[in-house]
Amino acid sequence: MAELAFTLSAAPILGGVNQSIGENRIVERDDLALVSIATPIDGEASLTASLETGWGLALPDPTVSTPRGETRAVRTAPDQLLLIFQHGTPNADATVKSKLGGTGYTTDQTDAWVILEVSGPKTLDALERLCPLDVSHFPDGGAGRTVMEHMGAMVIRLGADRFLLLSASSSARSFLHAVETSYRYVTD
Amino acid sequence: MIIDHPLLGPRDAAEFVVKGDASLIGRPDGMTASPEDMHDYMYLRDNTAGEHRELWYHEQGDRSWLVVTRNTLTHEVTKVELARDVARAQGRSR
Repeated sequence: MAELAFTLSAAPILGGVNQSIGENRIVERDDLALVSIATPIDGEASLTASLETGWGLALPDPTVSTPRGETRAVRTAPDQLLLIFQHGTPNADATVKSKLGGTGYTTDQTDAWVILEVSGPKTLDALERLCPLDVSHFPDGGAGRTVMEHMGAMVIRLGADRFLLLSASSSARSFLHAVETSYRYVTD
Repeated sequence: MIIDHPLLGPRDAAEFVVKGDASLIGRPDGMTASPEDMHDYMYLRDNTAGEHRELWYHEQGDRSWLVVTRNTLTHEVTKVELARDVARAQGRSR
């Protein structure tokens, strides 16, 4: 019997969408991994220390994220944060666990969310139609979890007209359609 | 309706789900409470005309439970607290 060898490689959830609408861009960020970290009871001080030694990150306050290069910590709940970082292989959870040394409870969320980076001059107008939070008042790094077109979503401000949008990977195409449609309404 | 979340600031009520009277926090200990106490906890609610405290869950947000004090006559929201702070103030461990 012939020997078969396969190498499987993961495909981006939206096939690596990268499109322009007018002068605006929608890009799928397939290079980012997501790991959520829950704080053990009374463990906030030691988790803060491991974030500092492991990634040079401060524990984020609610509504803001703390960045260091392409790595970012977002507060998602009173005792939970989400770590977003560049990572190419499917072992994000183990990487984070080894740096935390037991100071936080981790869950790999990489395949659960689709991440879109949206940018361009009409971005605030497009988000105004889509997002119930007033993102024009977000500082750089400002973050919020909310609902867009009935889909749970997270929004993180990277710059004046640059945002990361996260939503469930299971409804990624509907989410992309909502974002695209909103951009089309405000361009041309 | 806007709910002024104690951690996140003003959020639209569409992000929340209402979960009932805030007295649900004080569940009696089922091993020691009398059947009458459990019955009252399960079935009896005040139907307040005026200030009313309710549990709200921030489902499309940070998943926190809140105790919202609002006026059923004017719809004014007067106070929003984290439910766990309320429970701890009542002597619960969490």
